[in-house]
Amino acid sequence: MDTDYIHIILADDDEDDRLLFTDAFEEMKINTKVNTFNDGVELMDYLNNPNAVLPNVLFLDLNMPKKNGIECLNEIKKNARFNDIAIAIFSTSSSEEHIEETFVQGANIYIKKPSDFATLKKVLSDVVTINWQYYTSGLNRDNFLLRF
Amino acid sequence: MKLSKIYKSSIFLKSIFVVSIFAIFFISAITFKHISLLNNSSKWVTHSYDINLELERLMSYIKDAETGQRGFLITKDSTFLVPYITSKKKIDRSFALVKSYIKNNPAQEDNVRKLQFFINKRQNYLSSILHLSLNKSLSDKELKKKLIIGKETMDSVRSQINEMILLEKKTLKGRELYYKDTIKVTPVFVYITLLITLLLISISYMRITKDLEKLQISNNSLVVLNESNNLAEIVGSFGSWQLNIDTKEYTFSDNSYRLLGFEPKAFFASQENFMKYVHSEDLSAFRDASSKMIENGNLAPFTYRAIRKDKKIRYFRTTARIVTNKSGEEILIGTTSDVTEEVLASLSLEQQNIELEASNKELVAFNYVASHDLQEPLRKIQTFVSRLADKEYDNLSDSGKEFMTRINNSVERMRILIDDLLQYSRTTKIEKVFESTDLNDLFENAKSDLLQSIEEKSAVIKSDKLPVMTVISFQIQQLFVNLIGNSLKYSKADTIPKIKILCKKVIASEEELLPKKTKDKFYKITFTDNGIGFEQEYAEKIFILFNRLHNKNEYVGTGIGLAICKKIVENHKGFIFAQGKPNVGATFTIYLPEDNS
Repeated sequence: MDTDYIHIILADDDEDDRLLFTDAFEEMKINTKVNTFNDGVELMDYLNNPNAVLPNVLFLDLNMPKKNGIECLNEIKKNARFNDIAIAIFSTSSSEEHIEETFVQGANIYIKKPSDFATLKKVLSDVVTINWQYYTSGLNRDNFLLRF
Repeated sequence: MKLSKIYKSSIFLKSIFVVSIFAIFFISAITFKHISLLNNSSKWVTHSYDINLELERLMSYIKDAETGQRGFLITKDSTFLVPYITSKKKIDRSFALVKSYIKNNPAQEDNVRKLQFFINKRQNYLSSILHLSLNKSLSDKELKKKLIIGKETMDSVRSQINEMILLEKKTLKGRELYYKDTIKVTPVFVYITLLITLLLISISYMRITKDLEKLQISNNSLVVLNESNNLAEIVGSFGSWQLNIDTKEYTFSDNSYRLLGFEPKAFFASQENFMKYVHSEDLSAFRDASSKMIENGNLAPFTYRAIRKDKKIRYFRTTARIVTNKSGEEILIGTTSDVTEEVLASLSLEQQNIELEASNKELVAFNYVASHDLQEPLRKIQTFVSRLADKEYDNLSDSGKEFMTRINNSVERMRILIDDLLQYSRTTKIEKVFESTDLNDLFENAKSDLLQSIEEKSAVIKSDKLPVMTVISFQIQQLFVNLIGNSLKYSKADTIPKIKILCKKVIASEEELLPKKTKDKFYKITFTDNGIGFEQEYAEKIFILFNRLHNKNEYVGTGIGLAICKKIVENHKGFIFAQGKPNVGATFTIYLPEDNS
């Protein structure tokens, strides 16, 4: 997708988090386009539309009503059309089980939601500017969880 | 043992009996033979006597004839001729009798022939003399001559008869001798046999008495055993029973009846009668177990419900085993015990266990969810406060700025508390995966977790090479993080923190700190720092959850970190100890068993 901006999607049921997320990108000097969805069902409805513009990076919250992040991850990984989307898990939890499961299911990076805005901005900016092809080839269980 | 002796002795007694019977038969046979021998010999005596008597009688008849003739010759009176004539007949009769007596005796037959010759000759002479004298043709000289010949013949008859009597006496003597010879040894022989028989009977009598005594003794001990068994059955509330496989006959002990609330022998012992008291829901299982029992010859403990006479439901457990007795009969021996209390206790224990497990799970889940879900609002408070501080800081009054800092501190403290609680709940969770891990890797991970803090304080960390061990890796990493973090946190403000980690393999018995009889070999890893240290009296207290030695304004801490360390080490069946000296430093010593299987 050769566009001059980075297309970013966030699926998160928490309004505050969506606000902080979009605010963070607005304050960044990177050219991005951010779409947010309130839950997994909305996200998948959008993605499954053949005319949909697919994102470069998809941020997935795990704990969502109707369809949670793990289910979305599962569906996305089964569909070859979504192969180019980098998937970042974006969750309050940093439990071993969640990290383990999402790693096995094929997510690209695991981000524990930071607790101050400056860190949030830095983390998001780092993540969207990663060279995913390079990063994914060296991905392992130890560097899957982003440390900040 | 005793019983088998008695069995052997009964064989012994039987053989003695048979021998005695034979001896008695033998004695009676011998006696019979001798009595008939005696009988025989007395018959022979009578026989000889008869012969002799008859011979003498014959002799006297002949004499009578001669006397009669002589009288006639002298007197010429014919009355003297009467005895002569009658004697002739008598002589013939008597002679025939003698002849019949000595039949089958060749020597005497020969003698009889001779005797007959002489008698005939004598008779002829008598009759010829008589004729001559009747006709008066006989001269005195001739008469004399004839009489002399008659006398000579008479002498021959006499000597012949004497000879016969002598021969008969001799034969009798011979017979007597033979009889004596035969009979002489018999009484001794019979006597000896009788003595032996008596001896055998005495031995068997003694033996029987002894066996009886033994039987009495074992009978007595059996009675005692039976009684103590009865008592044991009552005290232990169980009953025993037997089933003869061949005859299908059951025997129930007294207490078997009492278990069902009956008096002993209240009903006929049979499976059908017992099954009347088995709970209807357990009947088919009971039947299955019972048929399997007869098929396999044993019954593994089988528990079922029974309804007593008083309608109370009790749990019974039955077990049985087949044995073969001395008579070769197969007997199934079983016990039935009332296990109601046991079953009820185990049921309630099971129930309690389930409840406990559920409540434990709930607690862990609650702990996890609480700390996890608390993070979310907290994180937002922090984020929005950081935004406020970022964007609106200049618009705040000095006191507003002060409040902001205090909010921030409190929120930060809460976050750490929640993080630590979450950490603690993870170490107490049940699933623990042990895997072979290089502890050096875990140590490096721990250092990189603490990188920021290490760099801030320019801490120097030196470590021995650590071993590869079978551990729950994330927990050991957490242990390292907590211990190093602790040293960094409680470092002296004006000194560069130095942390030294030593590791060696030790034997439990040589370590003062370790309790005896623990697993033999341990890895001893010590973390020594040059921090603020602590009073040794607190060395144990610091491992207790929420226990702190310092005011939270001096050092940020939750009192959870070292409790987590202790938990982790315990999860690995190891030990952790602390040593401290104020203003010198602290040493944490962990012992992890080499083999954790």
